[in-house]
Amino acid sequence: MGRYLLRRLGFAVLLVVVASSASLLLTQLAPGDITSEQALALDPAARARLRAELGLDRPLAAQYLSWLGGVARLDFGRSLLYSRPVNSLLGERALNTAVLAVAALIVATAIGLPFGVYSGSRSRGLGRSVVRGLSIVALSVPPLIGSLALVFLAARTGWLPVGGMTSAAGMDASWARWLGDLARHMPIPVLALALPLAATLERLQSQAIEKAVREPFVAASRARGLGHAQAIIRHAWPVSLRSVLGLYGVMIGSLFSGSFVVEVVTSWPGLGRLMYDALKARDLYLVAGCAASGAFFLAAGTWIADALLALADPRVRSQEAP
Amino acid sequence: MGWRWWSGQQQPADSGTEIVFSDVSTRGGVLTSSLRSEPRTFNRWVNRDFATDLISQLTQSKLVRVNRATQDVEPALAETWTVSPDNRTFTLTLREAAWSDGTPFTSADVLFSFQAIYDPKANSVLASSLLVGGRPLAVTAPDTRTVVITYPGAFGPGIAMLDNLTLAPKHKLEAALAAGTFPQAWGVATPLTELVSLGPFVLTRYEPGQRVIFDRNPRYWKKDAAGGALPYLDQLVLEVVPDQNAELVRLQSGQIDMLQQQVRPEDIATLRPLVDQGKLQLLELGVSTDPDLFFFNLRPAKWASDPRGSWMSRKEFRQAISHGVDREAFANTVFLGAGVPIWGPVTPGNQKWFSPNLTRYGFSLDKAKALLAGLGLANRDADEWLEDEQGTEARFTLLTYRGNSSLERGSAVLREYLRPLGIAVDVVAIEQGALIERMLKGDFDAIAFFFSSSNLDPAMSADFWLSSGSGHIWNIGQATPATAWEKQIDDLMHQMMASVDHAERKRLFDQVQNIFAENLPALYFVAPRMYISASARVGSISPTILRPQVLWAADTITVRTPASTGQGGR
Repeated sequence: MGRYLLRRLGFAVLLVVVASSASLLLTQLAPGDITSEQALALDPAARARLRAELGLDRPLAAQYLSWLGGVARLDFGRSLLYSRPVNSLLGERALNTAVLAVAALIVATAIGLPFGVYSGSRSRGLGRSVVRGLSIVALSVPPLIGSLALVFLAARTGWLPVGGMTSAAGMDASWARWLGDLARHMPIPVLALALPLAATLERLQSQAIEKAVREPFVAASRARGLGHAQAIIRHAWPVSLRSVLGLYGVMIGSLFSGSFVVEVVTSWPGLGRLMYDALKARDLYLVAGCAASGAFFLAAGTWIADALLALADPRVRSQEAP
Repeated sequence: MGWRWWSGQQQPADSGTEIVFSDVSTRGGVLTSSLRSEPRTFNRWVNRDFATDLISQLTQSKLVRVNRATQDVEPALAETWTVSPDNRTFTLTLREAAWSDGTPFTSADVLFSFQAIYDPKANSVLASSLLVGGRPLAVTAPDTRTVVITYPGAFGPGIAMLDNLTLAPKHKLEAALAAGTFPQAWGVATPLTELVSLGPFVLTRYEPGQRVIFDRNPRYWKKDAAGGALPYLDQLVLEVVPDQNAELVRLQSGQIDMLQQQVRPEDIATLRPLVDQGKLQLLELGVSTDPDLFFFNLRPAKWASDPRGSWMSRKEFRQAISHGVDREAFANTVFLGAGVPIWGPVTPGNQKWFSPNLTRYGFSLDKAKALLAGLGLANRDADEWLEDEQGTEARFTLLTYRGNSSLERGSAVLREYLRPLGIAVDVVAIEQGALIERMLKGDFDAIAFFFSSSNLDPAMSADFWLSSGSGHIWNIGQATPATAWEKQIDDLMHQMMASVDHAERKRLFDQVQNIFAENLPALYFVAPRMYISASARVGSISPTILRPQVLWAADTITVRTPASTGQGGR
């Protein structure tokens, strides 16, 4: 198992380097650069000086190699947009996204898995149909519409703030009050992210349970006198988790790198918005840093899911054994 | 220009009148507004993005200010001034004032500001706006409260040009300029205690991605009419809300007091119920002075080997397009009726310089078709498009900004208008940087675009009018005028810029506009009407059509507290 996880770790590092390199090179190759927006206000000589100051006048290979050298030292360069180290920008924004992503993952898991077990363990019934219908609706609604609908709901009811991560007064408050303020701002973006994920988990879990209950060992456990619910929970569910856990890796990665729409609509200051601003301004080092973060979280998510899978299912461990 | 209630009970004010909404003079309170994008730096001298400019307007002051509502020049840190008989030398007496850290403001700061802006190493974006005929102003300081500024030549806008000068604190930025690190100074990571203010507010907190918070500057030099200290507000909060729909929802729910930018025409109906309930104000500011424009590439090199050049670079082709567009219908489709037809770059919103007597190309498909036929364009095959005598199809690619709804809609509508004429338009929306890059390289057929102006005097946007200008976008930076009519405009603009007699300047500029209308290097169809919205608790605002529409005069804004209005507020 150790070797297996080590191999996955190597893959993760490769993914980060490839994704960030590709982002940097593609951003560099697209027409224009960060000075384009100011081009009409600067004379050509001033713009050339600015490009030279930013190192954009160097050949592409030289820029890339110098950046790659920095990446080897875990230094992703300096943002051209904010004149700050990319690492520090990523650090503060990744933490914000992490708060959102972890909460969304917990909520999605808490909703998706139990309902998936419920709907998958029943062959018919109103409850099963209702759960399936709601899941399909949640899966069909694009994140933008879902986010806007939740924001609209919050605005109409006045129950919750419609955007932001904290209120202006929150920063001056005590830790407890700050946490309370943060908690009041979280439901909208968390639900916007969690509901489609919960629906995905419910569908996947439901299908996995349906398959697992047909396994002979579940029938055997029922024959030994175990009740239906106990047989599902103790025998069918652990086996069904294999396919569900496999998806968690991708979900974690997509939560970190793909929450962009939700972050923009709910004004959540996370990685998605940072990436969007960087792309708009053609800040190639920041784009590459954001891509690296997304790839890192995707790889880390996959790695964690693999590890959990190996722990949960002895067959995985036995397949990977030398 | 002015504003009126959405109910229409009050009409827009006449030119040159500043109307202040509400006479509330409540002191204190917090005003919360929105900001669509974050500041990239706090250094206005090297960056011109909207957020950086707005922060600079809130925290810094100028020697003189052009009142955005009346367009009159007002004293600011220059308390008084005299002008030499040749109108080239201005002697300014500075007000006694201090930076927010207590350091006195003196003429040394003014000298330093010019030094920094003109220093090539600083790469200041303000430099080009402080040149006369391409040459810098000469600045001396006989004593700590006197500054003498000599223009290299007579310049029509006169001292109004100094409205472009953001004053820099010598005691804070001198070392950076000397070290060649001025462009990096006052970045967003700079400790806020290092930033000093001469304006109504002091930047006290920046939460990246969330908000920028300003407290009132207790050392602000300006007083109200009664001699009371300004600003009235205790605090101003700008919440970063990148999405326009979310911004609107926040306004509706009372979580922000006003939008930073104008209300989209499609949002007016959404806000109307809250206006009727007295919770929001919806104010019409007048006609925008920054209309969308549409222009062809007029660089001779572009068409030298392109068979379409024989007709596409001709003015008759552009005149035919102008005849082919029903501007009223264009306004209804693109701006939902909230727009007025225009025939040139200067809109009725710019009342001092607008010329109502320009050549107008009324909607007429017959006239348009006749002009196209005169160019040898006819439908010579079975499809719906025209061809020239060599069989080249009347087709061009129109580039525009991706994400700018009025430009994207306008481009699509234009394509549909030109279809009955037999002209095919391929609309391509690309991102802003790429568009500007292609514009600078001349790698385009036609572009739908917009400019944002901060000053309505055409002499201050000479780059657009002069053939040598970097804003002469249809053929940028010509060494000598490529056409006779561009030379005519150059000559008239030089005369106009050198004259200090407003009537004469207006007469000359009317001629410029007529030549422009005859040759149509850029086509204009509709100028949108502009609206802003604010909570009913916001008072004493004097909004204008120029950005920032409300916060340009943030020092006199007041807010009612919940107790005095009986409303919940935030």
